Amino acid sequence: MKDGVDIPLVPLRTPDTVMRLARMGAMFPTRLSFLRTLMRALAADKVEVKCTVWQIDAAGFGHAVYQLRFGGYDYALVAVSTDLPADQRTDRVIATAWDTAYVLYDGVPDAAALARICATAPKQEAARFTEQDLVLSRANKSVRLFAHVVERLRAGHQPDENLVRQTGYLMRTTAVYGNGKFGIADRAVFKDRPGLGGPFMAEMLTVWLIRHFTHDLVEHVGGRPLTRALKRHLGIGNSTGLGMAPFLVNHPVLLNNWMMARETALARVRGQRQINRAQAERLAALAARAAQHLEEWQVPDPDHQKRIDRLRAAWRAAAPLFRAEAFAKGGAIAALFDGSARQSVDLQELLCALVLEPFGDLVDDLADTMSDPFGPQVVPFPDTQTLKQEIEHHALWALSPAYESRAASRQFWYVSAAKQEPRLGNRFDEAGADLESPLDIGRRIKALYADLPDAPEPLTAFLARHPDHMMAATRVAGLSRYPYGEIRDNLIAETCLPIDMLRCKLSFFGASKFDPKSDRWTRITLCQGAPLDDELGNRADDWWLPVFGQ
Amino acid sequence: MSWSATEIMTLAGKAARGAGAPPAQAARFGQVVVVHLTAARDVAVLSAALEALPEGPILAYPLVLDQALSDAGQGLPAALPGLEQDALLVSFVEALPFQASLQATGTDGLRLRVDLATPRPHGVPRRITGCDGLIAQMTELADRTYVPDSDSSRRVGAGARLTDND
Repeated sequence: MKDGVDIPLVPLRTPDTVMRLARMGAMFPTRLSFLRTLMRALAADKVEVKCTVWQIDAAGFGHAVYQLRFGGYDYALVAVSTDLPADQRTDRVIATAWDTAYVLYDGVPDAAALARICATAPKQEAARFTEQDLVLSRANKSVRLFAHVVERLRAGHQPDENLVRQTGYLMRTTAVYGNGKFGIADRAVFKDRPGLGGPFMAEMLTVWLIRHFTHDLVEHVGGRPLTRALKRHLGIGNSTGLGMAPFLVNHPVLLNNWMMARETALARVRGQRQINRAQAERLAALAARAAQHLEEWQVPDPDHQKRIDRLRAAWRAAAPLFRAEAFAKGGAIAALFDGSARQSVDLQELLCALVLEPFGDLVDDLADTMSDPFGPQVVPFPDTQTLKQEIEHHALWALSPAYESRAASRQFWYVSAAKQEPRLGNRFDEAGADLESPLDIGRRIKALYADLPDAPEPLTAFLARHPDHMMAATRVAGLSRYPYGEIRDNLIAETCLPIDMLRCKLSFFGASKFDPKSDRWTRITLCQGAPLDDELGNRADDWWLPVFGQ
Repeated sequence: MSWSATEIMTLAGKAARGAGAPPAQAARFGQVVVVHLTAARDVAVLSAALEALPEGPILAYPLVLDQALSDAGQGLPAALPGLEQDALLVSFVEALPFQASLQATGTDGLRLRVDLATPRPHGVPRRITGCDGLIAQMTELADRTYVPDSDSSRRVGAGARLTDND
């Protein structure tokens, strides 16, 4: 961590501004996104990836192993490819078969370990795994693009660039399980290892290696190599549903630390009164790249496409401000931000991601603050009066909705008995609200507030009579220490769009090209433009908002 | 079969909720179960605590410990009135987010010795084995928190189609 005293800092944007669903749902990846951090770490460690096993038949089925040494430890991605009937291909949690399955293995797998993983990985949740298995994942083909690329390669040609640009990946991961799921290793097993200590680093490493496998697989089946530029543009897709949303609510310290790091980075950059010529030129070049990225970002959903179109237009209109000469003026970045207050949150958040990009020396250390090594360090309030005051100071957002109205409480979160798939229901039309998952933080805080007595009493005496309020009391107690830990919106309102929560989390992963399929489901692209395994040494960190041909 | 600590924590939290504990107490119990099992303490007390819901130590211990933490935060003696040392209480104390232990004072009963400036050490958790009965009990209770599948839930609840071929 840098000594903050030495860094000019403007005030951070407040949690009331930042922790709103609409803004969270407008976030873009930044240089603090986990994939970016991982690529820098891999490059710094001069990691080399070797394919040590390739037992794949001509049709593309079999298994492969990719080996690397990172931070002083050996890891291996075991990839298993199987023949999946089209009628079984679904990205839902309730799927039972996939095109490919993966395990990130701790060490070098021997023959027995390899045989075990080849037998269990395709079963995913239906199998049990071991402490040597760090991450479990699966991916389905983009059938149209995969088949097209194979066909073109077999015919001696490269694939159609437009198709590659439109889809952007050969396969989509549909789950990337870490931290002990189904018997795999707890995160604590490797959290202190160099390179894997940050949030989701093992998962991001897995995703990056899966991308390599998809390249190798299509070249193997197609019989010819892809050009480097095409491979670079072929990231790894991901299909994400409601499962990501509860994570943000259930991990307030992590959410706080991610947001705090991003907001602190932004404040540091905004505090730069004068930047040098190279930084100004870099900002101008990146703004132009962002414009091209927006042009290439096409989605089938008409409403979301309109939103992208509006952002494109606003970004184009702001182009005069993005010239190097403009950036080179004193206080230009702060002025740009102040001026953007009247623009859409989409533009503001893109601007936020842009201005961090040339300032790695100033902000990259904040990546070290984004994990949660200790859990909530919060001392309970002594009495009800203190709690009441804290709610009035820090949780007014929770008190304002009229939760008794149907509109403010129409949705309920639940976990289905079908493979424990997270789902959302309509409280007034569907059964199951009695088993609602406790994501209704705002409603709980307001209910607690309403029950607090006029005369102060020890909080534990109150909670002994009202044990259901302990959750809300605990969350309020954490607000002053973890101010960015709560989403300051009503998560059960009929207007709540879970997709906003998904985009927030995915942007921290480093996702781009959000392609919403509904208000609770999205496809994205990861690792697009990311370095290939032999490019870590020379272009590990220049792939923010990738564009075709970069 | 061995289990990861995170699996046990999640399952125990769901089980407590399924047995009637409010969410915060249930989640806390999940952390306690991991501490308890990795310390190889008596599994039976965990089963008994679940059976005692919606009353019993899963609700009572957090209240007493939170009061003690709050007292400690104000520089007061962190007394634990009415409690006697037992294996489950020790696990609750060791699951606190701060460095803490129980102290028998002789005359005034138990006290919490806690350093609010020092987080609880987080070592690498052991794999958890040898508690198949508890696992079965917790799985049955956790199942009570899931909404039975239905056609409409299956079709629209996740916001995605049932097949994807692009």
